[in-house]
Order: sequence, then structure tokens, then C-alpha cells
Amino acid sequence: MEKLISASLIGLSQGAIFALMALALVLVFRSTRVVNFAQAGQAMVSTYIGWEVVTRTENYWIALPAAALAGALLAAIIETFLMRPLAKRASHGAIAPVASIIASLGVLGVLHSGAAMIWTTEQKLFESPVSVNGIEIGSTVYPFSQADMLIISTVVIVMLTFAFFFQRTSLGLSLRAAAFQPEISRLAGVRVDRVRTIGWALSGAAGAVVGVLVTPGNYLSPFSLDILLVYGFVAAVIGGLESPQGAALGGLILGMSLSFTSIYVSSGLTFIVPFIVLLLILLVKPKGIFGGGSSRNA
Amino acid sequence: MHSTHRRRLILFIVVGAVLFYFSSRVGILRLYQGSTVSMYVIAIGSIILLTGYSGQISLGNGAFMAIGAYVAVLSQLYLDLPFFLTFFVAVLGAALAGLVLGIAAARLTGPYLAGATLALAVALPSIANLFPVLGGEQGLGYDSGNAPSLFGEVARFKWLFWISSLAALITCLLLQNILKSRYGRAWKSIRSNSVAAELTGINAAKSKVLAFVLSAGIAGLAGAVLTMSLGTVSPSAFPLSLSFALITGAVIAGISSLLPGSLVGAVVLVGMSQLVGALTTRFEIGDVLAQNLKELIVSALLILAVVFTPNGPGEKIREMRDHRKHHSHGGHR
Amino acid sequence: MMRLNRSKNALTLTALAATVAMVATVVPAQASTDKVGVTSNLIKLGISQPTDGPASAGYNKVAPAMKAYFDYINANGGINGRKIQLTIENDGYLVQNAVNKSIKLVDDGIFAFVGSLGTANNLNVASALDLKNTKIPSLFVNTGFSGFAVKKDHPSMFALFPSYYMETKIIGEYIKKNYPNKKVGIIYQADDFGDDGLAGLKQAGITLVKEVPYASLSQADPRSAPAWITQLSSAGVEVAIMFGVTSATGAALGAAARAQYKPQWILGSVGSDVTTLNALGISNPILNGAITGSFLPATTDLTDSYIKLFREVNTKYNPGVAFDSNVLAGMNTAFVTAAAIKAAGPNLTRSGLIRTIETKGKSFLSASLTPPTYSTTSHAGYAGFWLGTFNSSGVLVPETGKYKVYTTDSAKGKVVVSTYKRPEVSGKGLFK
Repeated sequence: MEKLISASLIGLSQGAIFALMALALVLVFRSTRVVNFAQAGQAMVSTYIGWEVVTRTENYWIALPAAALAGALLAAIIETFLMRPLAKRASHGAIAPVASIIASLGVLGVLHSGAAMIWTTEQKLFESPVSVNGIEIGSTVYPFSQADMLIISTVVIVMLTFAFFFQRTSLGLSLRAAAFQPEISRLAGVRVDRVRTIGWALSGAAGAVVGVLVTPGNYLSPFSLDILLVYGFVAAVIGGLESPQGAALGGLILGMSLSFTSIYVSSGLTFIVPFIVLLLILLVKPKGIFGGGSSRNA
Repeated sequence: MHSTHRRRLILFIVVGAVLFYFSSRVGILRLYQGSTVSMYVIAIGSIILLTGYSGQISLGNGAFMAIGAYVAVLSQLYLDLPFFLTFFVAVLGAALAGLVLGIAAARLTGPYLAGATLALAVALPSIANLFPVLGGEQGLGYDSGNAPSLFGEVARFKWLFWISSLAALITCLLLQNILKSRYGRAWKSIRSNSVAAELTGINAAKSKVLAFVLSAGIAGLAGAVLTMSLGTVSPSAFPLSLSFALITGAVIAGISSLLPGSLVGAVVLVGMSQLVGALTTRFEIGDVLAQNLKELIVSALLILAVVFTPNGPGEKIREMRDHRKHHSHGGHR
Repeated sequence: MMRLNRSKNALTLTALAATVAMVATVVPAQASTDKVGVTSNLIKLGISQPTDGPASAGYNKVAPAMKAYFDYINANGGINGRKIQLTIENDGYLVQNAVNKSIKLVDDGIFAFVGSLGTANNLNVASALDLKNTKIPSLFVNTGFSGFAVKKDHPSMFALFPSYYMETKIIGEYIKKNYPNKKVGIIYQADDFGDDGLAGLKQAGITLVKEVPYASLSQADPRSAPAWITQLSSAGVEVAIMFGVTSATGAALGAAARAQYKPQWILGSVGSDVTTLNALGISNPILNGAITGSFLPATTDLTDSYIKLFREVNTKYNPGVAFDSNVLAGMNTAFVTAAAIKAAGPNLTRSGLIRTIETKGKSFLSASLTPPTYSTTSHAGYAGFWLGTFNSSGVLVPETGKYKVYTTDSAKGKVVVSTYKRPEVSGKGLFK
């Protein structure tokens, strides 16, 4: 029973992280049809900014928004100066379907090497603002801490905020419109370019939050968030790549599968599980759980 | 058409003879780098076929290389096949794996396929540690044999270079023919407009699976060539960065240009660290900068290539030349 | 059509010619390979190891420490009138790079490899360069994989570190004596490194109530650590062995501390460098009480003549680098290398060096608390460990206050307490 509860709690906390990373990827994908592999690098650089702030102010609560802001800014820069011109230049020819994926791989490399030049590859540490120790119920300590609760609640708040934003605000609605019907939106007076940049910025901020959340109790290096990109991407694909709910569900499914196979089958399967889960789901639903119903073709 | 075939064959023989001549005049490092270039030419060829022609993306061709490599080694170990036959088996094995994934992948478009192949590339190395028959982290040895006695005593690296460059030449010849065949044209038309292609009677799904299978098989050959030069197959030879490097190589030189594209890409991948090494010593760049300079340059090149010459510098040059030619001949037509 | 094809062919030909031109440089004249890399006043050695990238943490200090020690020897006249030049190549811990860089070193004319790092990298380099037949020496490789000690497979390679198998056999004996009737569990890397360790424990007759493998990529994913700990704690493990790389060890200790799971930790020596663990956020209070082994004296032991010398050399020739177990290991490897070169005499050849290590290697001095076990049939190096416990300030305190060294072999041999009395460092470690 303890084992079952522990497995679920670990899965939940991991799943929340995967979900937020997936959400960051989904935000970019649905606003610009780009699978952004640079997301891990952007989150990493923003987290370094957060680390700089923490070491100067010793205040996590200043670092978190600072990193989010940096993440948003960085994403907006990448979108404006690279992805937008790219979309215009590489709109036809052999490379058109994959140009943005490849460009984002290039950005990831630039961010990796740039960060290593600035901050070296030595690990940087982050203190958590809350306790990282497991909570004690009766005589049992569960592998679930205030820090995990902070992660989950932050992820839930971010998700709800986005949901509200997309469904209830006019900016959010025009974002969705621009994503689904750019030409019609343009005619309807939506400034599509600006709206896309905002989509990227939101995504950059979400990625930065992921980085600042997972780094305490862990460490930061130019590569420390890379594996999250893989998990986040798998989660996003499971969810259907276009829906925030899908990202949340995909993250949860992946987090739980990893935690349960680790504890009940073998923890040597960490890198195989994502592939198996993804393949099983794509075999049934080739466009993910929440994807594909639409008439559009990418 | 026939004369083109013959011309390609002649070119193939000439290039082979030139490489053969030079193989006796260089040191082991150049020979090994030549083998690596050949391996990359094959591997990048697999990406060019898949992405440049059929418009699909695979972040997991490194995984198919691994499959080919393991199949080659296992067939030598258990079936006692001579080494050139292990290459064929490697192609078949990887193509079969490609077929399994390809059937699933036929229903997947762009990002979904990227996700599935990425997850495969991450998963594959740890599979080797699950099954003892695969030799775990230390892997399995591979005997690349010796040159036939008619060549006399041939040094190991020269022999490896001969085999890998021959494999690359044959692959290029065959690939060139496939890409120029009706299959190649079918892929191109699906890539640019799948609906229109279907209307002309092309089965888009089947055609895409075929491209995926062929690409996997070619990657498998590259894996076998790599294993031959290493003399060992082990999971750590196939990291995720290998799959990314293949894409980089393919894009830098033009994703739809097999020749000289794959060759230029391969030379960039192999030569860049040397070039950067020379630069950093020449300009006395500090350690931290120097160690990361190569990745920075390669990544920046990748971005520049995608933005400015999305279809490759080769294509760009050809475009410009055709443009000029069009102008000068315009009057006579 | 025709025209287009011809121009295409021309282009192809140009490109191929360009590569050929790149490939074509003049070959240096081939001399007898036995004396390559040795002149009357220079010996060229090479090492391939990661100096950057995700897997380089800690290990990137090994080669510079070696170089520092050689610099110290060179500044004092070298060995037999020859200075030692160590070329360090960065392989980023990637197999393909390791092979490429090692071939480059051979092409540059090194006499021998020394201290190359990593099991997979060394295996691939050995097969790619066909070390078995070319007999290029690869001395004192930086890994505990027992396969490199097998002369039949690797006639020109020499292991230095005690094997993983020896280490866990000794740990197993220690557990049997000190923690009988306790439930023992292990977290281990799911590859040969971990399997070797597991096999040693079983050879020692330890029953494991829980075996937790973790998958290795370039390093462990720290986020999976809570699941490892849950498995150990729910199996009621009281003595937990952590046999993995430093990143995984750090992740496991951190996750256990957070879950307030406090078994008796026993750490494999590969993952127990204090400086690296501290850098990963594992503070000394968390480490406090954990047991680990070492074949070298504690880095903090200023009463040890070798540690004292190495620390002085480090300050002077490796300025700004903290003296930790990676630096110590590097210095010691350089020290043994110097001993071997000295013993091989003024007429230095590759085959002569290999023969010298086989016949005289047993008596080479070094910081190790057990002597090397080289012979004409085995290329195994050190064969023993002492065990100690970390105190609250991160200092490893030997079991009984003094180093009690256990020794064994990589087969079925018994674990016994070593009676070897290591001589103190002589002649300032200069091999005059």
C-alpha cells in the first residue's frame, strides 16, 4: 500500500513537470506550427538567469518571475529574428516541412555552447524556498515534499491561467484564431505576427518556470534539462500536440508510467518506457489523444 | 537514359581509382577520417532520401544505424557470415525494423514522427543492456577481415578505408538511380502536394513507408560500416547526438542534394573539429571558449543554412547558374 | 537533360577531388614502430579523456593532474635525460571521438597511451587501433573494468585500479562481518560496470533482498532517484549499497535524505568523490556515516608522504585546482608511469616497457596501499581497498583509525587483510 501511494506521488510530481514542459511545446506548436527543440535550451538559459538572481538577492520568489520574464524575452527574440523570417523564406522546397525543427536544433546547440562559455559546465545549485523533505504520515515518510506540492500547485495555476487566458480574454481568443486560421484572422484585423510572438513568449515563460521548479534539490548545468525535453515532447505528442489539456494528460500518463514501471517492474527501463508508451498510444491514435479531430493538415 | 547510367558508372570507377591511389599516400588518421567520411556519406544519404525526397523527418536514424551494426555483428558471430555478407544482412535487418516502425509511422505526420523516432533513439542504447546476447556496455567484437591476398599485405586502416569508401560509392550510385527513378519522382510529388499526387495514382502511404524502409536500411549499412572501423559494436557508439549530427550534415549541404551534398556534409562533420582546433591554437582562445566553439560554429552554420539556403548551397549555386544560362540562351529558344 | 547531367557529374567530380585533396597529405616515413615517440631527450605520451560535456564533471581534472606531475619531473631534469610530453585530447566521453582522437595521437607519433578514461571508450580504441597486434602500449587505463587485465585479450594494455569485482567482494566480506543478519540491497548501473559489482557481492555470498538497476545514458537521470529509494525502503533494506557513477550516487543520496530514509550507505569508489558530490548538492551532513573504499590514502591525510608530495606538486604545477580524489588518481597514475619508464632503462622501447611492467611491475612504488600485481600472465594492477566512513566534515576516516587494507583477486580468491608495508616516497618522487 505504501509502495502504491509512493509510486503515485512520484508519478504525480514527475508528471506535473512533464506536463508543464509539454505545455510549453504545445503553446509554440499551436501558435506557429513549430516543434521547438530549443525549448530545453531556452529553459536552461532562463534558469541560469534565475540562478544569477538567486545568488544576488537570495530570494527564490524574485528569481522565479525574473527567470520567467527572461524566458519570455528570449523566446520572443528567437521567434522574431529567426522563426518568422524562416517561415517566410523556407515556405517551399524540400526542407519546408521540417525547416523549423532543424532550425530549433541549431538554436539548442547555440544555447548549449553559449551557456557553457558563460557559466562553464560546472553544476550550479539552487536552494529550494520550501522543505524538500518527504512528508510524514503516521510513521511513514512518503517521497513527497513541500517542494513537490509547490511544483504541482504552480503547474496547476499556470495551466488554469492559460486556460482562462485562451478562453476568456480577447487576446487569448485572437491567439487561438491566429493559430487556427491565420489568413482569416489577418483579414479580421488580428495582428498575426504579434500574436505569434506572444505565443512564443508565453511558452518561453512556461519553460523557464519548469527549469526554476526542478532545479532545487537537483543541479543546473547546460545539459541538465535536456532529458526533460525528451519527456516533455513525448508527453506533448501523447496529448496531441495542440491541446493544453492533452499536454497535462500526456505528462501525467508519462509520469505515472515511468514511476510505476520503475517501482514495480525495473528501474532500468527509464529510457525505454517513453518509446513504448508513445508507440502504443500513436498506434491507436496517430495524432495523440486530443489531436487530429480537425480538418486541417499541417 | 542509358548513357546517363553508363556515365555514372564510369564516374564511379574513376573516383574509386583516384581514392585507391591516394589511400597509399596518406597516414592512418586521414585514412580513418576517410572511412568516417564514407560512413557519414551513407548515413546522410539515408536522411536525404527520407527528408529531402519524401518529406518525412527522423530523429532516430542513429538508432537504425545501431540496429544494422548489431545485426552485422550477430550474423558474423552466430552465422559465421563473411564480412561483406554481414553488410547485406545489416541492411535487411535495419530495413525490417524500419518496416515495423514505418507501418506505424505511415500514419504519423511531421512532429509525431519526429517524436516517435526521437523516443526510439533515446531508448535503443539501454536495450543493449537488457539482453545479454547483445554484450552489454562493452558490446561485441567484430572482425573486419583482411584484404584478399592479391593485394598483398594491406595495412588495417587502408583496408577499412577501401571497404567503407566502396560501400559509400555503391550506395551513392544506387541511391542516385533510385532518386531519379519513378519512386524518387513519386516521393517528390507527394512531398510538394500529397493530394495532387494521390490523384495521379500514387499511393502516398505506401510510397512513404517505402522511403522509410529504404532509409532505415541505408542507415543500417552506415552502422555496419561504423562498426567495422571501430571493430566493436556497443551502445555508447550510438548516442542521441549522432542522430542530430546526421540531420545537421544533411541540412548544411542541402537536404535534397545527394551529391555532392552528402559528401560536403560528411566532410564538415569530420573536418570541423580539426578546423576549430587549428583556429583555437592559432588565435590562442581560452579553454572554456575553445571547448565549446565547435558546437557553436556547427549550430550557427545549421541555422544559417536553414535560413539562407534552405535547399542547400548546391541548389543555390545551381539556381544561380540556371538563371544565368536561361538568360544567355534565352534568345535562341 | 544531358547537359544538366554532365554539369552535375562535373560538380560531383570536383567535390570528390576536393576531398581527395584534403585526404592527401604526405606520409611520414615509417620507422620501426618499437621506438616511435622516443628521442634522446623526449618521450611523447597521449591521453584521451573528456574535458567538457555532461560526463566530464570531476574526470576533467585527471589529465591535467597527470600533466602537472610530469611537469614537476621535467622541471627537475626528466627521466634518463628525457622529458615527458603528455598530449591531452578531449573526447567528450563519446566513443567515436575517443577513437578519432586516439588515432590522431598515434598519427602524431606518441610512444604510448596513458590513463585513457572509460570502459567503452578504451574497448573501442583497443579494437579500432588493433592494439592487440600493433602492440601500442595503453598504460594504466582509468577504469575498473577487469577485462583490461586479461593479457590474452589486451596484451599491450595494463589495468591499474582494482577491479569493480574486487571492490564489491571486499565490501561483501565487510558486510558479512559487520552487518550480519541485516537486509542488504543495492542500486547499480544497468551495464557491465554494475553487473561486475553485483557479481562480486554474490561471490562474497551476500544475499540481496532488493536489486535496483538504473539505466545509464550519458549519465543517470536524477529525477528517477525517488523511485530507486522507494524500492529499497519498501523492501526494508538496512544496508544499502550504491554502485554507480557520481551523478547517480548524488541523486540517490539526495533522494534518500529527502525521504528521510537512513540505511547504512556503502558507496562504490567510482561515485564517492566528496568534491564532486558536494558540487552536486550533497552536503557533508548527508554524507556523514556513509562507508566507501579507496586504494589510495585519504586526500586529506597530510601525514602520508605521497599525499604531502602530491599536494605540493598540485599547488605549484596545477594552480587553482582543489586537491581531490580525481587529482590524486591522476598524480598517482603519472607517478606509476614514471616508475615504469625509469625501470625500462635508457634504451626505451614499446616492447621493452611492456616486458618491464610484466617482470618488475610488482615492485613499482606508488601511493597505493597495496602493490600492483602485474606478472607475465596478468595485467591486473592494484588488488586492494581500505574502507572508511565519512565524518560530518566530509573526511573519510579509516575503519580502525589506520588503513586496514583488504586484498583479493578478480576470481574466486579469498578476501584477506594485506600485510604489505608501503615504503615512503623517496628521492622526492623524481626517479633520478
